[in-house]
Amino acid sequence: MTRATATLLLLAALLLAITLLPPREPEGPLIRTRLLMGTVVEIRIEDTESARYDAAVTAAFAEMAAIERRMSPHLPQSEISRIAAATGTVGLSADTAEVLQLAHDVAEASNGAFDATLGQLIRLWGFAEGEPRLPTEEEIAAALAGDGASRLMIADGRVAKVVAPLAIDLGGIAKGYAIDRAVSVLAAAGVRHASVNAGGDMRLLGDRSGRPWRVGIRHPRKSGDILATLQLAGKAVVTSGDYERVFELDGVRYHHILDPRTGYPARGCQAVTVVADRAALADAVATAVFVLGPGKGLALLESMPDLEGVIVAADGNVSVTPGLRGVLEWP
Amino acid sequence: MTSSAVDPLRLEAERRRIFLALFSALAIALHTLEFLLPSPTPWFRLGIANILAVVALFLFGGRAAWSVNMTRIVVASLFLGTFLSPRFFLSLSGGILATAAMTASRRLAGEGIGPVGVSVLGAAGHVIGQMLCAWLLLVRHDGIWLLLPLFMLLGVAAGLVNGLAAGFLLDVLRKSPPFAVGGNDE
Amino acid sequence: MAVNGFWRRLTRLDRIIVMLLFALCILLFIAVGMRPPGRSVRVTAEGATLFTAPLERDRTAELTGPLGTTRMEIRDGKVRIVSSPCPYKVCIGMGDISHAGEIIACVPNRLLVQILGDEAEGKGPGYDLLSR
Repeated sequence: MTRATATLLLLAALLLAITLLPPREPEGPLIRTRLLMGTVVEIRIEDTESARYDAAVTAAFAEMAAIERRMSPHLPQSEISRIAAATGTVGLSADTAEVLQLAHDVAEASNGAFDATLGQLIRLWGFAEGEPRLPTEEEIAAALAGDGASRLMIADGRVAKVVAPLAIDLGGIAKGYAIDRAVSVLAAAGVRHASVNAGGDMRLLGDRSGRPWRVGIRHPRKSGDILATLQLAGKAVVTSGDYERVFELDGVRYHHILDPRTGYPARGCQAVTVVADRAALADAVATAVFVLGPGKGLALLESMPDLEGVIVAADGNVSVTPGLRGVLEWP
Repeated sequence: MTSSAVDPLRLEAERRRIFLALFSALAIALHTLEFLLPSPTPWFRLGIANILAVVALFLFGGRAAWSVNMTRIVVASLFLGTFLSPRFFLSLSGGILATAAMTASRRLAGEGIGPVGVSVLGAAGHVIGQMLCAWLLLVRHDGIWLLLPLFMLLGVAAGLVNGLAAGFLLDVLRKSPPFAVGGNDE
Repeated sequence: MAVNGFWRRLTRLDRIIVMLLFALCILLFIAVGMRPPGRSVRVTAEGATLFTAPLERDRTAELTGPLGTTRMEIRDGKVRIVSSPCPYKVCIGMGDISHAGEIIACVPNRLLVQILGDEAEGKGPGYDLLSR
């Protein structure tokens, strides 16, 4: 009987051991981050055997860094700095020409609500330098007089300024473009499931290995809360919010999304999230819609194919384009 | 008169061989029959053919049980046209673990364990063998183990029924002269 | 009487084994039942995703494998196979699944239906990435 009992216990233990075996741990995603373009860029590979794409991630970061070197207004050797310093025409790399062309197109489609030639105005407000200040009306008028999308001519990879002091700031588009290029590098290396997230502006490559990516949209007034969640695959998502860079003076909040028509922060929206195929387009359009305000902004989103978005108006009202109805979840 | 000329040991061995062949044939028939019977739950079978392996184990020992079950699984799969199909490997892995559990328990517990105990342990082994095979070869997903409770419950219930049937069969057979003598062990 | 007769045929060890195995079954059922409810269902074929959907909304889906079309139903947060071209209908016999990690496999038609739970979301907050 003792031997029998021992057998029994052994069998029972065996059965239990088999049932309680820990589930095989699936290989995790490859996640790497790097500081680029003034923000934290995270690249996440969800393919099986993600580790073998390490070199591709390095190449994607290098691509983004190269674009930053060309397009940053803060680096003296960048093409953007050379345009600001130039008086005549400036030869451009294919990248910069492409971004300027896209900026021009969005400026036209939005009646100038998006404007990549606000370099002077943006420097005046000092958001990028981290020391924002309230300019005088005369300063703003002077800066606006020197800027404006129509004062830049782009042709055959060269750019010419109509007004000499004109300065370009690609802050509302270059980050998106860099994200797109990083995704291209990953895709060319055979990656099929990835995300490139530059400080909350992102593009997705494929789905998240078998299920859609769940992209949370930050609530513009309750930090830490989610306004809604989007289930997406292979799309770019960019949000422009009035909470990103802010200062307060005499009880008035001033944020960094400037209306090119007034020179002051746009007041129509709290936040705009745009979903598009390309991050560069989503980036520029998010800024344009924010400046246009909820009414015209929604019209702009609906006027362009494959553009979807969520607009939180200044009064907190949320509007959503019809194309997002199937993929948007409220918390 | 002539029988006295035959070596009794050889006679015993021949008798075993014939009965084992009969058992195997019967097991194959039951296996095939059960497979062909219409059932509301085609994925669940009682496994009545295992009754023969249990009986063989008690009458002729562990090696006999192995030969009945392995012969049955291979030959029946040839009859059914499932040889080397996924279904065959499920059946084979279940059969191996079931027979291993049955012979091991009989060897370790000896007379302390009866046909029901052997049959129930065999059923549990069968379920685990099939699940392991499905997990390793067919589905390759850990979620399959969530089905274990259901399969285990059904398997143990079936093992209980088969074990009782094997007990009755053993009682009947032991009353007939050819089985009345002869050891239980190998 | 008859049941009593059956029971008496068992040796003491037989009875212990039977009871232990049934107890094991109950434990296994409890262990499985305690798993968190799922959030969504995913259907894959040979590793490729054919279909995903949240469990909240009732719907049916037609999934195509090498044998033909398998119909799957989501109702009241549970997923089951309604019809299948496979010969043994094992997948239909597997019944409902609703807990995270549970699966229905239709091996002949090469379909794997699985329930995904919160833990599959990677992070606690219910999103993978935050747009801000």
